[in-house]
Amino acid sequence: MSAPGIQSYGAYVPPTRLALGAIGGRPAKEGGPERAVAWNDEDAVTMAATAAVNCLRGFDRDAVDALFFASTTYPFREKQGAAFLAKALDLRRDLRTADFSGSLRAGLDALRAAADAVAAGSARRVLVVASDCRLGAPGSGLERSGGDGAAAFLLGAGDAIATLEAFHGVSDELLDVWRGEGDRFVHSWEERFVIQEGYQPRLVQAVQGLLERCGARAGDFARVALYAPDDRSHDGVARALKLDRGALVPPLFGRLGNAGCAFAPLLLASALEQAKPGERILVAGYGDGAAACALAVTDHVEKLEPRRGVAWHLARRRPVKSYDRYLKARSLEVGEWTPGSDPGLSATIHFRERDEDVSFRGQRCRRCRAVQFPNQRVCESCYAKDDFEPLRLSDRVGKVVTYTFDFFFPTPDPPTIVTVTEIEGARIHLQLVNAAPEQVKLGLPVELELRRIHQVGGRPNYYWKGTPVPEEPASA
Amino acid sequence: MRKDALRDKVAVVGVGCCRFGENWDQSPPDMIVDAAYEAYADAGIEDPQRQIDAVFTGSIYSQKGPHECSDALKLFGKPVTMVSNYCATGTDAFRCGVMSIAAGLYDTVLVVGYDKPKDRGVSGPSVMMNAVRDLPQTPAGWFALCAATYFEKYGASRDDLARIAIKNHHNGTLAPNSFLKREITLEDYKQARLISWPFGLYDCAAQTDGAAAVVITRADLGRSFRADPVLVKGVTVIAGPNPQKDPGNDFLSWKPTGWAAKDVYEQAGITEPRKQIQVAQVHDCFSLTELLSYEDLGFCAKGAAKEDIRAGSFELGGELPVNTDGGLKSFGHPTGATGVRMIYENVLQLQGRAEKRQVPNVELALSHNIGGHPTACGIAILGK
Repeated sequence: MSAPGIQSYGAYVPPTRLALGAIGGRPAKEGGPERAVAWNDEDAVTMAATAAVNCLRGFDRDAVDALFFASTTYPFREKQGAAFLAKALDLRRDLRTADFSGSLRAGLDALRAAADAVAAGSARRVLVVASDCRLGAPGSGLERSGGDGAAAFLLGAGDAIATLEAFHGVSDELLDVWRGEGDRFVHSWEERFVIQEGYQPRLVQAVQGLLERCGARAGDFARVALYAPDDRSHDGVARALKLDRGALVPPLFGRLGNAGCAFAPLLLASALEQAKPGERILVAGYGDGAAACALAVTDHVEKLEPRRGVAWHLARRRPVKSYDRYLKARSLEVGEWTPGSDPGLSATIHFRERDEDVSFRGQRCRRCRAVQFPNQRVCESCYAKDDFEPLRLSDRVGKVVTYTFDFFFPTPDPPTIVTVTEIEGARIHLQLVNAAPEQVKLGLPVELELRRIHQVGGRPNYYWKGTPVPEEPASA
Repeated sequence: MRKDALRDKVAVVGVGCCRFGENWDQSPPDMIVDAAYEAYADAGIEDPQRQIDAVFTGSIYSQKGPHECSDALKLFGKPVTMVSNYCATGTDAFRCGVMSIAAGLYDTVLVVGYDKPKDRGVSGPSVMMNAVRDLPQTPAGWFALCAATYFEKYGASRDDLARIAIKNHHNGTLAPNSFLKREITLEDYKQARLISWPFGLYDCAAQTDGAAAVVITRADLGRSFRADPVLVKGVTVIAGPNPQKDPGNDFLSWKPTGWAAKDVYEQAGITEPRKQIQVAQVHDCFSLTELLSYEDLGFCAKGAAKEDIRAGSFELGGELPVNTDGGLKSFGHPTGATGVRMIYENVLQLQGRAEKRQVPNVELALSHNIGGHPTACGIAILGK
């Protein structure tokens, strides 16, 4: 059996960007440093779903044996994110799923567990998705240095674009950054302690341990992707390891920001976008210790169809119009109403409608072939009864049949663009995201993204929204 | 179905309508009593306990069923039915009453439509969110979905919608029971905030509370109540598919209106609606709904509404005045009440009692509701 490797990757970075200069309410200027912020209908799960879709493009979803989901900001304490994602991605039911959480190195931990599963032969293909929303308290440093995003990797044996050569990790107990039960924001100890005793020595140790394990020198790696809390500490570790500056994968501060446990995976995806056959890549992550991984890029990297990766997403921007709108979108503003305490969506209705609402599966009439959504008992075209086959619509392209701009629908950034979109002949009432009203026209091609539709019951309720099909490739 | 089963079998002998508005100081029973007792008086009914055989009531906001109406009027020991069919609720309650008389069950029936949306603490339409795909937008958003398609195909614009809004605002100033009694100008229309493109504030019906009632009886008993009973020529309610997922929908019209019009015209023996009908109350929850209905009711050809709008055909004094009392635009839309309120206006028009809004020589009058996403249409035709 060949060594485990990455067969595909994908990323997601919200197009909404907050200019760091706008924080506090100053007028936002174009062209300055910014961070990616998930909008009010996005969270760790929706970003993970889109990154995974981008990763799986062109790959058989039924071949995925396991899904590992890493996040420290998944909205449920009890209820697995990986199982939800598997359903949203319409993966096989006999799939192994696990969540990795509790630490900013959960992304690399999930990658390592996936590599182990492939190496052990217990799974032939494993999808790893890391996603985080780094929400800083208004006015805090993290509000400026944090970022939101997700990265996904498909691991398997053979056909790898990069083989996973070695891992090395250290685990440590350190009260440097933490978020307790009920805490909305991250707490941290004095910054000098966090960097000098926590981040810097431990990341260096993990990298040095990895180099010893592979019998390599730092200079052997053409691309080095290092997690860092901020730009300055990134430079510090690079100097301590005597790394060639040309080999450093740009850490994207001022563009994306530190995306928590998805940060190192996003930098790895960024490295893979540029990688040439024969190069070696080193990626290191931090959190309760540190973890590092060495990869070797293969000839396959040139055969992989272009991915929607980090560069692709960074090129696709929708600047946030004001700090005030950002605060509204992330529910950080003080308002008149407290969130409702109603019981929310009926769990039994959610259960009955999970194929439509979560997997976005419609049906095709076996008799007349008409596609319909949501699922019916009686065909609306030929009136045949109970004679349908399922059809996944989430990966199809539709076109706008009609639209309106709804200024009354509750959103921080009106208007809400509402369409009737035709997908495979089925007419579906869909909100449209990532578009300005002036872009919307009859016949506009639309693809689908998982989003939060609303928060009834104080819970995130998920559904799919349309987004204009981007021109490929935008960059990279 | 038998198209002549209802025609001229039932007479409307009394009508009542409370003042529509933000009726903060009135409960649903208060408004029901106002409307019903006005209808009793109009019919010369002095002993409703004896003279009313059954009640059909319509409401969509009430959670109390038919009891709310029977308790308000203390009409016990007789059948009381509640009907709910979105915006067609009032027309449907009327239809059920008409059918029960035509079937020979009852001699005299009270129909009450009412609703009280202003007890919900919401100033606009409700945005109910019970499931993830139940309501991804507002009612304005549902009804706006024909605009992009219709404008592109037929070249109409917001200016045409504005004329409808201006007309209905004007007519509303002439109706004693209307909520909005204010003329608007094209400039007002253009300055108003957008609700859901292309609808601005003045394209949308207000939210109000209201109740309306009618007394109906066997046609042969009509003159025992009053000298000028109005006859039911036809009434129908037709269901349609959800237009948002209907694969055959062209978003140039709302299908149920065309279907209901065909049915009710056959019942009433109408072959040339524009010539034969003298006055119409048309569902104007949003201005575009009224525009599309001109065409779907056969008042003009598909795509031709803008020419008639610009010619003033549907204004008071025009060829076929529409929404002579100001419509939903001026009365607001307490959902269950609206269809019955339209019948009230048409009865006044047929009896020459509409004062400043009176259309000359009315022989046939039409009222029309469309409701849901929209998914149901009700039409009633009254005549002499």
